[in-house]
Amino acid sequence: MTTNHRHTPGRRAVLGGALGGALTGLSACAFTGDGSAASGGAGPSGPADHLVVWFPGTNQTEIDLVTGEIVPAFEERTGATVDVTYLDWGDMSTKLNAAFAAGTAPDVFGHGPAAVADFAVNDRLEDLGPYLELLEPADLEDMDAALPGGRVDGTQYLVPLSIQGSLIAYRAGDFREAGLDPDDPPRTWEDLLEVARRLTVRDGAGTITRSGLLLMSDAIGRQQSFAALLASAGGRQVDGTSPATAAFDSPAGATALDYLVTLFAGDPAVAADLGQNYSDLPPEQQPLVTGRASMTMSTAVRAQSMHDAHPELDLRVMQPLAFSGGEPGVLGGAGPGLMINKDSAAKELAWEFISHLLQPEVSGEYTRGIGAIPVRASSVDDPYVQGSPVMTAFVQAADAWVPNPNVPGWVQARDTLSGFLEQALNERLTPEEALAQAAPAVDEVLAKAARAGGA
Amino acid sequence: MAAVTAPAAGTASAAAEGRRDRRSRRNRTRWIGVAFVAPAALYLLVFQLVPVLYGVALSLTEYSPLSRGAPRPVGLANYAALLDDPEFGQALLVTGRYVLMVLPLTVAIALGLALLANRPFRGVGAFRSALYVPHIVSLTVVSMVWLWMYSPDGLFNEWLTGLGLPEQRWLLQEDSALAAASAMRVWKALGSNMVLLLAGLQGIPRELYEAASMDGAGAWNRFRYVTLPGLRPMLTYVVAMDIVYLAQGFAEIYVLTQGGPLGSTTTVNYLIYTEAFQYNSFGSASAMAFVLFALIVSFSGLAVRGISGRKS
Repeated sequence: MTTNHRHTPGRRAVLGGALGGALTGLSACAFTGDGSAASGGAGPSGPADHLVVWFPGTNQTEIDLVTGEIVPAFEERTGATVDVTYLDWGDMSTKLNAAFAAGTAPDVFGHGPAAVADFAVNDRLEDLGPYLELLEPADLEDMDAALPGGRVDGTQYLVPLSIQGSLIAYRAGDFREAGLDPDDPPRTWEDLLEVARRLTVRDGAGTITRSGLLLMSDAIGRQQSFAALLASAGGRQVDGTSPATAAFDSPAGATALDYLVTLFAGDPAVAADLGQNYSDLPPEQQPLVTGRASMTMSTAVRAQSMHDAHPELDLRVMQPLAFSGGEPGVLGGAGPGLMINKDSAAKELAWEFISHLLQPEVSGEYTRGIGAIPVRASSVDDPYVQGSPVMTAFVQAADAWVPNPNVPGWVQARDTLSGFLEQALNERLTPEEALAQAAPAVDEVLAKAARAGGA
Repeated sequence: MAAVTAPAAGTASAAAEGRRDRRSRRNRTRWIGVAFVAPAALYLLVFQLVPVLYGVALSLTEYSPLSRGAPRPVGLANYAALLDDPEFGQALLVTGRYVLMVLPLTVAIALGLALLANRPFRGVGAFRSALYVPHIVSLTVVSMVWLWMYSPDGLFNEWLTGLGLPEQRWLLQEDSALAAASAMRVWKALGSNMVLLLAGLQGIPRELYEAASMDGAGAWNRFRYVTLPGLRPMLTYVVAMDIVYLAQGFAEIYVLTQGGPLGSTTTVNYLIYTEAFQYNSFGSASAMAFVLFALIVSFSGLAVRGISGRKS
């Protein structure tokens, strides 16, 4: 027994010491890494004739197109090999953050423009300016509407693969039913509200059974609706870049938010289902298809898919609207695009891959395949655009696109603003109170992000 | 003397040898035990304990996974900030409310179903299997199905309009969203709770019921004085595990409501996810995680003591 007592603590001490040492070592490893390219990492450390690419989204059409046609053509042309992974949008940030922390981030990766500034401010992205200079000036001019959305502080970090924007789509049949002319849709937001009142249908109890006009009001959507209205009213979301400051607490902001609140809580209201995320629903469940709404704010991809699935509905798209006396504006511009990891060992090949996707025929094939707005202005003559009234309307609206700001901390700032917009939409705060309270909260987020070098 | 001493010395030597043998056997047995335990212990150490310790360390720092720099120590600042964070306070309340909305209902209904499934009747196997099915389906998949059923054009509103009742905005209203998510979770948790409680019921000796009946106990008294005390260990386990799982509610919230409307379904785990993976603030997210951990341990401990009747 004595012997055991003498030995046991000794062994425990040795074991404890070993465990402690191991833990300390692990913790030390975890705390000293700079997160740059780790040896054995998936992308950055690979051979220069091999690329690891992460595409955002799990759209099957896009997967088939990229995997089955675009990548094999690139591999055949360059002799390189490409591993492509498609990530669900919801997992995108999580996986990229983990990969950057571990030093295993891909050579090329995609994301929306809203995420670019945080990667850039943390020195994770390659400056694509010198690469873009290798393109023909005519090519650059052709993509002029899309490229600014991929810049942070004037530096190009993201090359958009499509243009993204939302316009008002409507059911021509409902217009005719209400005695309105679908060939002469409203041109101002004020007129649109009047038309929406005529299109709204209620049951005997006064509950709206068909919204006259439905703007996005879910967590991210309500900020987009507000931004679209704000752009039409001549306002801006933020000023400056480092740190950016909130600029939406302005007369234009009040006009925009007041309009949005009126749709859901006006007398009479013209929209039901406040807070519902309809924009992510499949075509068959879209309010325009089910008949729960006569007019909705819709992206090009969604409007095109509804139009293709239900030609009998005679869906049409309005041009960007203005507030009376103002200029039309709408939230849009650069869509999701590709970036190059600054630690990639195959940057030249990575750029070659991106420029392959930018070639007019490949770019056209890509946007046609996924039903998006082409990134090149010259695509306006493409049969894909010419043959679709929906796509033609979106391409014609390109001059009015106003992108979201590309500033560090934007994702959190957007969510913060969205929280106050929600309070206004639920009549907890007046539009003026909501904007006045949101501005300092957003300023704090942006200032903190600028100090910390990211979100 | 020699005749006496020799056997004594021999006995002592034999005894010493026996002790050595026993010690050697014990040592061998111990090392075999260590060898058996080592893989699991190593797994726990590397994949459970180290991340937890790393999480503790991270909670004392400011760290973004995108940053090239190492985590910057900030002491207890992240914990102190939580004291003034209304969002975190609100999330704690929502989490508590969620647990309280789901736990009593799911345990009570599961107990009723277990009592029913404990009786011999035709098709009892199918009945038990049917009740267990929700448990084996992924929570995310279940949440997706319920999201559709709760949608404005969904099944529940179709039933309501079929009955001439007005449609409801189940997940879109502040006062109904958490209840709607809870209803789904009650349904999801029923199967596993029912099976565990059924196992508990089948462990209660039948003689106790017979003795109680002979003493004149009615159905209620048999339930009150035989079933419930007999079920106590299993009931304790079920309640403790439910608290642990429900307090970490995330997948259903992520799919059904994304924390809205007006933050009415933002649980602590959802807030942690947002803070860590949307806003890249691993330090404050880790601090939230450890506060949640401490609360779960405390409330589970209280529940275990309360139900099992153990005194400290």
